[in-house]
Amino acid sequence: MQGRTTAVICAVIPFLALTLGVALANHVEPRVLGLPFILAWISGWILLTPACLWIAYRSMAR
Amino acid sequence: MNAIITLGIVAAVVLATLALGLAGVRGVRMDPQEYIVGGRRIGAVLLWLLLAGEIYTTFTFLGAAGWAYGKGAQAYYILCYGTLAFVIAFFLTPAIHRIARDRKLLTGPDFFTERYGSRPLGALVALLGFAMLVPYVTLQLSGIQILVRIASFGRIDPLLAVGIAFLLIAVFTYLVGLRGTAWAAVAKDGLVLIGVVFAGIVLPTHFFGSPAGALDAVQRDHPNWLTIAGPGAPNGITWVISTTLMTACGFFMWPQSMAAVYSAKSEDTLRRNAIFLPFYQLMLLLVFFAGFAALEIIPGLKGPAADQSYMLVVQQTYPAWILGIVTAAGVLAGLVPAAGQLLAAASIVGKNVLADYGIARGDAAQTLATRILVLIVALLAFGFWALAHTTLVGLLLIGYNGITQLFPGVVLGVGNRRPSAFAVGAGLVAGLVVLIVFAIEGIGQVDGINGGVVALAANIAVLAIASALVPARHTAPAPLPEA
Repeated sequence: MQGRTTAVICAVIPFLALTLGVALANHVEPRVLGLPFILAWISGWILLTPACLWIAYRSMAR
Repeated sequence: MNAIITLGIVAAVVLATLALGLAGVRGVRMDPQEYIVGGRRIGAVLLWLLLAGEIYTTFTFLGAAGWAYGKGAQAYYILCYGTLAFVIAFFLTPAIHRIARDRKLLTGPDFFTERYGSRPLGALVALLGFAMLVPYVTLQLSGIQILVRIASFGRIDPLLAVGIAFLLIAVFTYLVGLRGTAWAAVAKDGLVLIGVVFAGIVLPTHFFGSPAGALDAVQRDHPNWLTIAGPGAPNGITWVISTTLMTACGFFMWPQSMAAVYSAKSEDTLRRNAIFLPFYQLMLLLVFFAGFAALEIIPGLKGPAADQSYMLVVQQTYPAWILGIVTAAGVLAGLVPAAGQLLAAASIVGKNVLADYGIARGDAAQTLATRILVLIVALLAFGFWALAHTTLVGLLLIGYNGITQLFPGVVLGVGNRRPSAFAVGAGLVAGLVVLIVFAIEGIGQVDGINGGVVALAANIAVLAIASALVPARHTAPAPLPEA
């Protein structure tokens, strides 16, 4: 059951980041690697989502 | 001369991909199991390519850039939904796969037939999927037509070019089925990656010193272009969030995606795929760079013309052989997914309407019916292309609004306490009625909320009320209908 909770949390985080988070990160400044902040935010979460899912995967396997 | 070089390259690439697809299925006996779900033993790597092959289409190649060009930051929703779709897939698709394997399901609508014990519901879902695939195939067709027009420097009649392309893909789909499509996707993805890196990095670097330089120029000339408009504004943040959620839910509802889920070797294959597929989304970032760069280099393309954005820049700036390679990548990005979509549309009606109702009996008749239906969908998409003039993203959203209506039925169908078939069907019909009314009235969004989400809300509300009025009669798995 512990693993399941971890898995659900791992799923909720990218959802919040890429919906409500997008509303809050909706700025051009500060630039990150030349990208407008909003685009850097979204790209960052594209990279972090597999990490979240990997943790979910490991926690469910246990 | 230039047109001959570019079109020659495109033709050579298309033929080589067809050959690869055919080589991939050599020696495999064709029955409905093999033709539709690849014998249900497609491993992790091929599945990854198959799913990616269906995801990265002409829409990725041209449509996303067209939106970055024509509408700016609202196009970012594409990055968000594609990523979240895999989060949903991580949890949902293994359960769907397990059911499909245990109950020997072939098509997406089979899931509804089996889980709700209702052939009419399966047939309704099949017809819905069929109808929603028409604009999706039209999207590919429309994209190919744009590419061929650009590659021939306007010398080829687009109608003729699209006719040839579609004949090719119809023949290809007819011959090889799902497994061949996966192999063709291998060739496609390699070439698309080259095309996208060229358009998203080389092209903006050539004109602006770096992709970030192109974004700086856009920020200078169009100050609101790189951020999303406020809540309640048309296509503002409310629209972006609601559209992200709706399309993320709809992503795996497409019949071809359901078939891909069935075709996986194991549940674990699907989970591991879902973990790594978000990385593919980064390709879209490059496509946005290309669209933003094009906005600075050749401003002034309006409406559907924006879909041509960076391809026109490539045509006007680079030698014919480069244009040829980039165009070939785009054409494959249209042809390969179109094959998967045609196959899916045909197989669901062939199975869940014709076979389940005894109109086409036996494996041979069913395979023949599927093949004839492939041609019918191709023709319908052709007709839709001739009639509807909208952007590529516009076409995609028409399809998504409809297909997402299946989401409640699939999620509830995975569990053990399922509502009645009547309730699911009533919800589905309610959602569709809302969409049809919106389409007639020309309503795309309500207070900034995507119209498809409003339809989904109606769908869920009616489903809840109807399941209170007509409760499910059984919670045990329904008997399999005779195939």
